[in-house]
Amino acid sequence: MSFFETYGDRLITAIQVHLCYVLTSVTIGFVVALILGILLSRIPQYAKIIMPILSIFQTIPGIVFIGVLFLYLGMIPATVIIALAVYAIFPVLKNTYTGLLDVKPEYIEAAKGCGMSPLQTLFEVELPLASPSIITGLRMSTIYTVSWAVLAAMIGLGGLGEFIYIGIASNNNELILAGAIPSAIMAIILSLLIDVLGRFIIPKGLRGAK
Amino acid sequence: MIRFENVKKKFGDTVVLNNISFNIEPGEFIVLIGPSGCGKTTTLKSINRLITPEEGKIFVNGQDISKANPVKLRRKIGYVIQQIGLFPNMTIEQNIGLVPKRLKYSKSEIKKITKDLMEMVDMSYDEYAHKYPTELSGGQQQRIGVLRALAASPPIVLMDEPFGALDPMTRATLQEEIVRLQKKLKKTIVFVTHDMNEALDLADKIIFMEHGEIVQMATPDEMLANPANDLIRDFMRKSSATSDPSNLTAADFMRTNAISVYKKRSIRECTDLMARQHIDSLLIKNDDDTYVGIITIKDVRKHGKSSGSIGEIIPNENITSDAGENAKDAFDKLYNSGDNYVVVLNNDKTIAGIISKTSMATAMADTLWGDMQ
Ligand SMILES: Nc1ncnc2c1ncn2[C@@H]1O[C@H](COP(=O)(O)OP(=O)(O)OP(=O)(O)O)[C@@H](O)[C@H]1O
Ligand SMILES: [Mg+2]
Repeated sequence: MSFFETYGDRLITAIQVHLCYVLTSVTIGFVVALILGILLSRIPQYAKIIMPILSIFQTIPGIVFIGVLFLYLGMIPATVIIALAVYAIFPVLKNTYTGLLDVKPEYIEAAKGCGMSPLQTLFEVELPLASPSIITGLRMSTIYTVSWAVLAAMIGLGGLGEFIYIGIASNNNELILAGAIPSAIMAIILSLLIDVLGRFIIPKGLRGAK
Repeated sequence: MIRFENVKKKFGDTVVLNNISFNIEPGEFIVLIGPSGCGKTTTLKSINRLITPEEGKIFVNGQDISKANPVKLRRKIGYVIQQIGLFPNMTIEQNIGLVPKRLKYSKSEIKKITKDLMEMVDMSYDEYAHKYPTELSGGQQQRIGVLRALAASPPIVLMDEPFGALDPMTRATLQEEIVRLQKKLKKTIVFVTHDMNEALDLADKIIFMEHGEIVQMATPDEMLANPANDLIRDFMRKSSATSDPSNLTAADFMRTNAISVYKKRSIRECTDLMARQHIDSLLIKNDDDTYVGIITIKDVRKHGKSSGSIGEIIPNENITSDAGENAKDAFDKLYNSGDNYVVVLNNDKTIAGIISKTSMATAMADTLWGDMQ
């Protein structure tokens, strides 16, 4: 009881800040990844080399990356958002790219045969057919970003990480849980929302087929 | 209408089209035929620029297509691809309406076209137009594939084995329908098939290809009278075989939907399968698909246990015949044995199908009263 009296307001702010980081960076990451994924799928022979190089970035620990960005940009929310967006890119990029390459050549040929231009083929055939895979990528990105956003507190920029860090520093389990539980719930809710989104985006004819 | 001049296409080092030249007049029904891999699909795709040959020229309507805008060119040429290729993310109506939509037809026009076309192949608009391709049978999908190519009434239609997956009945209906349409709308059709009967029935002219070259281009009558080489003669003989009863083989009469199971399947699964399919015996096969024998529901009861695999029960040696065996011999065997059917085997001892007494009766009725199918 007294816990909420003391920390209630701060917790709510922290959740809002956390959510804000996640939504902004996933949105930015998603758009960038989608565009990159489409571009790379047009040049599969180069993409075979580019994709593994990009995946190396993925292995740089988040703390290092956010730390370096902090040195250059300083203690502003953009530091967090850029860092998180960069990490959000990869799962979507990979799934967009493979999803597009997995579209059976017969559909692309049929589309051409029907007099569809390359752009029409992309938007009306390839992307819809790749959409289940892209949505899966988006879900992964979102879930990861919720947990990575904890790092924001490391450079003093709030979010649920604040509770976790203070909790660890002061050996207060209540505070750790106050940071961890809402972020777990946030991950679950966001991934459910993405399922709902998928229901609108993934064409009906593909359900059950995948 | 369509003219090839010394067209040559290579994939890597292999020459797929070797100096092909021919001329197709407007309104002609041309059938491309030849063994698998001889370059039929490649020829077809060169016409709508899905494939670009290295050498030679192709003219459509007098225009050199290498100078045409491919997207515009393709909207004037209907195309039925060999793998059907209906878009799974679109409904049947959206699939059929694809080209008309590109050509800015109104919604109501598209609906009318879809409805008319679907009626033509006996598919109800109300029932199917809003379904997705995966909800249709292979044969129905193939029909829609043909309709999609016809939707914007293009003057030229290319069809790559469009009736491959159809049962003989539907195939015959659609063949008639295509011929009727072509005569009525004066379409130029280039049609690929493996089936010489189909070629003889449909074609104004047949182009016979082998190893990327045209062996003969002739009317069906000419080709029947003077086949240019042994391969063509062979193709012709195979197709005419079906009209001479003494040449019929077991394969011509068998049902290919006989239900077979691997030895390792459990007895319970097998009895369930029999119950579901309303059959009282199953064909048993080895892991390599070779035939073992048959097991009846009686054998299962005698065995007692329903646990374990079906392979534990000793199978019956049902009578068998080779797919190429004379049909009359197969019938004799069936008649003289006590078994309910003959199991027809391929050369490699895998199961090809079965001939039951019903198949036999149908065959006899056919010869007495004409085609019963
Ligand atoms: N994209 C490709 N790359 C390399 N080789 C190809 C390609 N497409 C076709 N080929 C080869 O070209 C030859 C002709 O192919 P094509 O598809 O035209 O044959 P087809 O007569 O249509 O055969 P089928 O009756 O089996 O459909 C074949 O040997 C095939 O393996
Ligand atoms: Mg082919």
